[in-house]
Amino acid sequence: MVEPSRSRFWFEGRSHDAEPGRTVLDRLLRHGLPSLQRSPRYHRPRAPFCGIGQCTGCLVRVNGRPNVRACRYVPGEGDRVETENAWPSRRFDLLAAFDVMFPNGIDTLHGFRRPAFMTPLYHRVIRRLAGYGQPPSRESATELRGPPRVGSADVLIVGAGRSGRVAAEALVAEGRHPILLDRRADVAPVAGADVWASTTASFLPPRPSTPGAAFDLIGYTEPARGVLVRAPQVIVATGSYDASLLFGSNDRPGVLTGDGALGFARSGSPAPFHHAVVFGAGDRARVVLDELGDHVSALVAPGEIPPETVRVASAAGIPLYPRSLLCTTEGRSRVRAVEIRARGNGSSTRLECDAVVLVHRRLPNGQLFFQAGARMNWRAGTGSYYPVVGDDGATSVPGLWAIGSASGTVGAASVGSGERVAAAVTGGSLPLSPLERVRSDGSNELEGYYRELVRIPRRGRWIACPCEDVLLEEIEQTTRAGYRGVEVVKRYSGLGTGLCQGRYCLPDALLLLSIAEGRPPSEVGYITQRPPVHPTPIAALAALDGVLTPAEGT
Amino acid sequence: MSAPARSNYSVAIVGAGIIGLYTAYHLARAGTGPILVVDRGFLSSGASGRNGGGVRQQWETRATLRLARESVAAYRRFGREFGYNIWFRQSGYLFLAETDAELARLRPVHDLVRSEGLDSRVLDADGVRRLVDGIAPGAAVGGTYLGTDGTLYPFPALWGLYEAVRALDVEVALGVEVLGVTTADGRVTGLATSRGPVTASRVVNAAGGWSGDLSRAAGLDVPNHATRHEILATEPMKPFLDPMVVRPSDGLYFSQTMRGEIVGGLTLPHAPGTGGGMSSSAAFLPRMAASLSRLVPRLGSLGVLRAWSGYYDDTPDGFPIIGEDLRCPGFFHANGFGGHGFMLAPSATRRIARAVMGEATDLDPGLFGPGRFTGAARPAAVERLQLG
Repeated sequence: MVEPSRSRFWFEGRSHDAEPGRTVLDRLLRHGLPSLQRSPRYHRPRAPFCGIGQCTGCLVRVNGRPNVRACRYVPGEGDRVETENAWPSRRFDLLAAFDVMFPNGIDTLHGFRRPAFMTPLYHRVIRRLAGYGQPPSRESATELRGPPRVGSADVLIVGAGRSGRVAAEALVAEGRHPILLDRRADVAPVAGADVWASTTASFLPPRPSTPGAAFDLIGYTEPARGVLVRAPQVIVATGSYDASLLFGSNDRPGVLTGDGALGFARSGSPAPFHHAVVFGAGDRARVVLDELGDHVSALVAPGEIPPETVRVASAAGIPLYPRSLLCTTEGRSRVRAVEIRARGNGSSTRLECDAVVLVHRRLPNGQLFFQAGARMNWRAGTGSYYPVVGDDGATSVPGLWAIGSASGTVGAASVGSGERVAAAVTGGSLPLSPLERVRSDGSNELEGYYRELVRIPRRGRWIACPCEDVLLEEIEQTTRAGYRGVEVVKRYSGLGTGLCQGRYCLPDALLLLSIAEGRPPSEVGYITQRPPVHPTPIAALAALDGVLTPAEGT
Repeated sequence: MSAPARSNYSVAIVGAGIIGLYTAYHLARAGTGPILVVDRGFLSSGASGRNGGGVRQQWETRATLRLARESVAAYRRFGREFGYNIWFRQSGYLFLAETDAELARLRPVHDLVRSEGLDSRVLDADGVRRLVDGIAPGAAVGGTYLGTDGTLYPFPALWGLYEAVRALDVEVALGVEVLGVTTADGRVTGLATSRGPVTASRVVNAAGGWSGDLSRAAGLDVPNHATRHEILATEPMKPFLDPMVVRPSDGLYFSQTMRGEIVGGLTLPHAPGTGGGMSSSAAFLPRMAASLSRLVPRLGSLGVLRAWSGYYDDTPDGFPIIGEDLRCPGFFHANGFGGHGFMLAPSATRRIARAVMGEATDLDPGLFGPGRFTGAARPAAVERLQLG
């Protein structure tokens, strides 16, 4: 018997087995949580954080293409995967000296101005230190040139999670034939619907005002094929993600979001931690306890712990720390312990652990609503913006619908929103009772939490924006210098300008600025959600050039 | 939002962009009495926070060239003067020619620049290739290059000016909308704002893309028209490109910033006026991506990080409008910069300030004066190099 030939890819001079549908990160996780790259300014070790293709914790260079997310890229035969932004290697990086040399941060706004004759040298050195990876190789782009994937449908659904699938099924039952997009590679088919997997929606411009015009959704599939879907009705079901949190050395390898921890565990690789501290106590924490309970050593919560969670944790013998501040992590290139402190000036406790799993709040993926011009409003429950939406899922933009957790539904209401939208889109009617949605009044739990946290003595680096290595102190300096509002703070500090498009820094920055400026978060503003939703290869966009022009309405 | 602290000012400047703030700076240093700068947005919300940061001295006319040259000198000392590092990097501007005919059209600019003592070079295809690593074969037959042109980081320039003018007791009211200009007997008396009336015998219109609207609201027939331009930034990477590259045939321009991003745009037809918002159009990203990757194919595998847009304030002859509008004494124009406000701000605002103080300037009124559009006179000259 002949064994089927296995395809292999190369990483750091060694070959690894590739498997269909398995990403680079999947393969590397077999050997533990890898620290694949260094942070941009201080060259701190960074490791996968979100596992869902949003953070900058797993960027690698593949076949000369920079900034490829290892958690999204499925390697093929002969692929060369390299690390970025570390010299001489990711494990030992001489430039990490910056982390020690600049304990208060590198001030590129005021520094490096004198003496004048040094200016060209400063420019050369700083430029060389900036940037994540080397420029693309000449060959990298030729592999990516290809025709775009173009489609049209009477209804387009973005996101094949729970509510998106329910909507697709209900539309099929009404005789429609929707296109259903999802970023993930492993999306189950929906009978009667056209499912496009591995397809990222990047840009949903407002619908042209010409009568009968449809929405044009621009996106790409990996590796870099352009995607254009034209549809008069678009249902956005982009779901939500686990948020980041600010504390000392919050960027240390081993700090993970719930998405990351659960995703890695579900991928079939050995769990990349053995005794994690879970931060958060709601539904999401219970999912982590259910699936990873054997690997959890403590549960810490910013507020009280709901009885259901107490029950699950106690059954597993996991100690609980309610009403606690997560102050700092310890360790070198991996989390070894966290320091927590009881709220209200309580005592501090050191918990040994090898990971921190953040499940304290889940935030909506709302970028497409912003792009398409939908009216948004602030919901204090999660501390985020959601589209203004009717019970049938209608947004303020005709033809644009919002369902699932991206629209603010909670729990089982997500399914209900999927059913209703199908009826509304097809002109049918359902008796509508209000769906349970994220609370819009009151204040967010983290507002009081951060009010206490920013006053404690600080240890370690407090990274407000991991993509760009912006420190909490820099945000505070911006406020002290008299600049107000998140839009200005962004331009002043660089916060939110990195590859995650502000997903992991902005929501917390809004709360912190609200405290610093003494006004509600909703008045601090919101950074304009600029397209694309995810960094989109130039080659993929270029392939759409001739395709889009005829319908251009602006 | 901050309401104006007093009601009576010597000068009220509309627009807290680079032109408005720099004008306030020159005025305050000269000591003209209380100055108000009012802007309906936040600092950097307009074109001053939305441009590509290019500063060049290659122009079609000597008048613009000299203003630009003086600005380069000012930006070289900006960091020491204002305390903020704007990372002004003089690594050149390269105008690409795709054909010999295009190269011939760049010649007069080259000759003019050289006649001013600046070291402009005409490059052949090899020379271009040395400056643009990975340019597609045959994409350019040559170009013109001036090594002392450069790029800067616009935001810190605004922070530096903002702090400098506030230290000079200029009041900057942000988030306050100007509803109109008030007059009596044909003379300016002040502004009507969303926070109440403001008295000022001199008003400076530095509202960028909204300048035309403001002038027309004051009853002045002006030819300014706003055009929306779009721009994008890629993922940051290690340095590979030094100069700003401009291709006149489709208006493509791009450079690599200090942070390592490629920032650039190209000219797309948009309906004039400020009604298009500041978002991106469906056409821009694909068109820009196609243009850029045809020129430098290796960039195809780089990700676009974000795209945005802003407004140019265009005039028919390509020159800004600077000086007092004699149809309405007390109303001063500091607008019409056609997307080049940052390039010309330090030098142009020096003249604007002088004009506001009633002093003579060295600007040719036939080129820059507000009166040049009235009457049947043909324009004295046209500045067509409205790129990058």
